[in-house]
Amino acid sequence: MTIRSSASSVVESVALRDDQVKLGLWMFLATVTMLFAAFTSAYIVRRSGSDWRPVALPSVLWWNTAVLAASSVAVEIANWYGRPEGLHYGRMNVARTASTLAMLVALALGVVFLVGQVEAWRQMRAAGVYLPTSPHSSFFFMLTGAHAVHVVAALVVLAWGTAGSVRVREPRRWAARMSLCRTFWHYLGAVWVFLFALVSLY
Amino acid sequence: MSDERGFIRRYIFSTDHKVIGIQYIITGLVMALVGAALATLIRLQLGWPDHPWPLLARLLPEGYPGGVMAPEFYLALVTMHGTIMVFFFISYVLVSGFGNYLVPLHVGARDMAFPFLNMLSYWIAFVSALVLILSFFVSGGAAAAGWTAYPPLSAIAAAVPGSQMGQSIWLLSMALFIASFTMSGLNIVATVLSVRAPGMSMMRMPLTVWTYFTASILGLLAFPPLTAAAVMLLFDRHLGTSFFLPSGLIVGNKLLSNTGGSPLLWQHLFWFLGHPEVYVLLLPALGVACDIMPAFTRKPVYGYRTSVYCLWAVGALSMIVWGHHMFVSGMSPFTGEYFSLVTLTITVPMTIFGVNMLASLWGAKLELATPMLFVCGVIALFGSGGLGGLFLGNATADMQLHDTYFVVGHFHMMIGGVTLLATFAAIYFWFPKMFGRMMNETLGKAHFWLTFAPFFTIFFMQHFLGLQGAPRRYYAFTAFDYLQKTRGQNLVISLAAFLLVSAQFLFLVNFVWSLVKGRVADANPWKATTLEWTLPSPPPHGNFDTVPTVERWAYEYGVPTPDGDFAVQTVSADHVPVTA
Repeated sequence: MTIRSSASSVVESVALRDDQVKLGLWMFLATVTMLFAAFTSAYIVRRSGSDWRPVALPSVLWWNTAVLAASSVAVEIANWYGRPEGLHYGRMNVARTASTLAMLVALALGVVFLVGQVEAWRQMRAAGVYLPTSPHSSFFFMLTGAHAVHVVAALVVLAWGTAGSVRVREPRRWAARMSLCRTFWHYLGAVWVFLFALVSLY
Repeated sequence: MSDERGFIRRYIFSTDHKVIGIQYIITGLVMALVGAALATLIRLQLGWPDHPWPLLARLLPEGYPGGVMAPEFYLALVTMHGTIMVFFFISYVLVSGFGNYLVPLHVGARDMAFPFLNMLSYWIAFVSALVLILSFFVSGGAAAAGWTAYPPLSAIAAAVPGSQMGQSIWLLSMALFIASFTMSGLNIVATVLSVRAPGMSMMRMPLTVWTYFTASILGLLAFPPLTAAAVMLLFDRHLGTSFFLPSGLIVGNKLLSNTGGSPLLWQHLFWFLGHPEVYVLLLPALGVACDIMPAFTRKPVYGYRTSVYCLWAVGALSMIVWGHHMFVSGMSPFTGEYFSLVTLTITVPMTIFGVNMLASLWGAKLELATPMLFVCGVIALFGSGGLGGLFLGNATADMQLHDTYFVVGHFHMMIGGVTLLATFAAIYFWFPKMFGRMMNETLGKAHFWLTFAPFFTIFFMQHFLGLQGAPRRYYAFTAFDYLQKTRGQNLVISLAAFLLVSAQFLFLVNFVWSLVKGRVADANPWKATTLEWTLPSPPPHGNFDTVPTVERWAYEYGVPTPDGDFAVQTVSADHVPVTA
């Protein structure tokens, strides 16, 4: 982050600068981290209760994890085409097309992930495991739900990034937008891996 | 003004941080009137328990069946009084209101870092206040589980009437509040980090900005856990989970099916927010007091750098002391010892800060204008209220004092009084900048004395009620022999409370009268040094035509200059030597 360099820079207008948006995103992610940290500590406390009965988690979650990882790779590819040093103006159109396609793939995989999560909930309910069945299932539904809400928000951001690959002319602004999508999406991927490990291992 | 669209964009859906700040302040002041009305009913009950009030029975038939207050209604009153004053008055007026108004001006920015987000924060905050007010009118009435909303009381609809619809709406309102307050805090942090004027290094920022910066970081980190807890509480209330509800709970002669939940888990999550939150409120109060003071002492604040370091220390420590609200929850003595130790450690930086404020007065020729009187009140309450904290932070003493009026007296002096008086100081001080007119000094001074004297009386006496063992949240003490002798004290406290509430009408009259008829203020009526005083009163949208270059710190007082005895932060070193 470039907090120090931005600190003393001159304000020309009220328009947002890239580094400000980036700072804003990191602070937002800090609050989201605290949210999931609180859920996690609650999980650890509640785990010690006498009525903790682990429930079987559906195997589709592994597929969902793979889909989300693939989606992160797609965003990374889109970002690679968008990075300023990789751009040669002669190949600009190639870079734009490749980046747009990669973003569309990432978006689609993100949607597939959500569908997969809903499928996991359906399978659990079919097996007779509901929200109040056991503290473990309560936490499973709540944590996956809270994560899914953030994924929905991130998909909106990815759509905004895709539009950026199509439309934003200035390479530096395009790269900045790509980098925001990348940070947010990888972050949520990491949160998922953490939550998945928490509910299946502990 | 003549153009209708122009009016709406300029004054209603404005992205100008100054308009948004004033919107927050007005909203908060209206909420304060509601909170004060609730306090009046509380004191009416505690001063004259069992006394029938036919008029109130007609106005509030459910709260006063047969003319006497229902105990459940009393619980709803204290819950809503606390919620409104903490979250919807002090947070709105002092933290979001003055934070919005002052921070961009003080750092020399044209607006907040994210102006649109700022507008969004205000309107979500507005809806949140509206939702809270609506909860008075649902079946069962407003929430009644305390501003801390401890389960099981807050989790089971049958536990108390307020835990029906009222508690759900309370949680909805808090969710909106948290969303709005987090966005607003994020904006303040981003503003401080990214749009400071050239030359405004961090160590040249006024203490006001430092306190808002620290408080906002605390808010960003501490509020999300309450969101998590609120989600779990809603699940427990409506979806049958048992996060907070233990096994074998019997409510209304019915055994609940919940198993294994932990009510203490809520307390931990709540106070993980709750304790930093008191510093979110308190620090800005100290900050504005520090910046108002030098205009009336005509000398720099004492120990600027140590004060800043103390803010860091307090900020960090405030995140790890929450357990001192739970000494009687059956926690391990070792845990209790840890929480005592860190809590008492926090008094070190806070005391240094307080002594710095006192030392700032040392040797000065005080000009006791209204804002300065309120600042003196802030220091007095901070000192005397803080002393009570030493007892409460110590687990051994807290076992005795927990949930007594000692606690009520303590926190009213600190997050009630320090913040209230600082809010008034800030309003009297920045009113000319906000509206271009001065407030009336005579009314202002009368307002100060009629606020400070009853306020101190009420909450100083409540400490002694607590020492005699009077528990908080009880709607009457008539059933307890050992508290019969406190009747007279409660009577005096109630009378002082009515005086305190009545005195606020002096302020309202002054506020409205000064808006219309007040003496026109020039750009710098207090001869102060921070950047907003270089602008016309009120400053235009966008604040600075050209971004100012900052040449010095905010406390260049008591030096001979062409302007008198002070140098505004933009005065170059060629004209007046720079001290910091």
